[in-house]
Amino acid sequence: MLGVQDFIGYYDWTFEYLRRNYGEQAVFDYWGKAIAFDSQRHARQLFLEKGFEGMYEYWAHTLEMEEAGYTFDRGEDYFHTDMFDCPSKGHLIQRDLEAYHDYCEHCMGWIKPLMEEAGFVVNHEHNHAGQCWWEMRRADDRSVKAPPVENPNDVRRLENWKQESHHLYLNSEPVDKS
Amino acid sequence: MSAGDFYYGINATFRFIHDTWGREALVDYWTSMAHQYHAEVSDRFRAGGLDEVQRYWSDYFAKEPGGEVTVQQAHGQVEIQVTDCPAIRWLKNGGREIVPYYCEHCHHVSTVIAEEAGMAFKLEGGNGTCRQIFGLKEA
Repeated sequence: MLGVQDFIGYYDWTFEYLRRNYGEQAVFDYWGKAIAFDSQRHARQLFLEKGFEGMYEYWAHTLEMEEAGYTFDRGEDYFHTDMFDCPSKGHLIQRDLEAYHDYCEHCMGWIKPLMEEAGFVVNHEHNHAGQCWWEMRRADDRSVKAPPVENPNDVRRLENWKQESHHLYLNSEPVDKS
Repeated sequence: MSAGDFYYGINATFRFIHDTWGREALVDYWTSMAHQYHAEVSDRFRAGGLDEVQRYWSDYFAKEPGGEVTVQQAHGQVEIQVTDCPAIRWLKNGGREIVPYYCEHCHHVSTVIAEEAGMAFKLEGGNGTCRQIFGLKEA
């Protein structure tokens, strides 16, 4: 039986299987359709019906269940998460697993389409080492740069935040940091 | 406890591959996964025999969220009696439409794992209750 205890391992393997057999676009379609609108339909419902509060409900439940290291910060205009110990990426790093070339991209792959549908944009950065931050804002609340480091729990304050290569997204679109 | 909501991802993945590329593609996905991702499990079974098969599945089901499963070794085979499958239970409780071919992954994945270990696998039942048997191949 395929169980959930090693899901992350064969989830990562599945990305590479799809890429190898059907091309990179198939991986994006998989995240944007199967994961976003089928697997994560409970998240979709919360985002659509409750907005920022729904995001808190979803991630508070999910990250607790996955035993992640994270903090939340909520305001009238945003929902912010700092992930300093991602259980998914951590599972792969600990076991030296890396079938697909960019596992971390799967989060934007399913979260972005659901946020767009619910009327929000995603600002996000990950370092491919199990650390990232997310800030969801309403679609008309555009950002020209990443939010300032003000919160004491901001993952960007960590000494090892700058390790590995970083991917940054503003208003749900990738930003070239070079 | 493992995150049971990942069962939603498994169910959705099967549906996506089946609906996009067809049944043969889904079977290829399962057997490829068994040959590649689960190669280490086959190695363990080959090296440790039925004792390792029993140990592996006992530990595995113990770590899944919920369900009712017994794993016993007798008469030269390991029998996994699934009275209440944790995956089917979680999906049903979550109100998910379970793909009708969900249980087939156990047959395809475990058959390859067993064959690669020089063993045979048999599956009876499904939809939450089944009997799975790993045995040595007859000479």
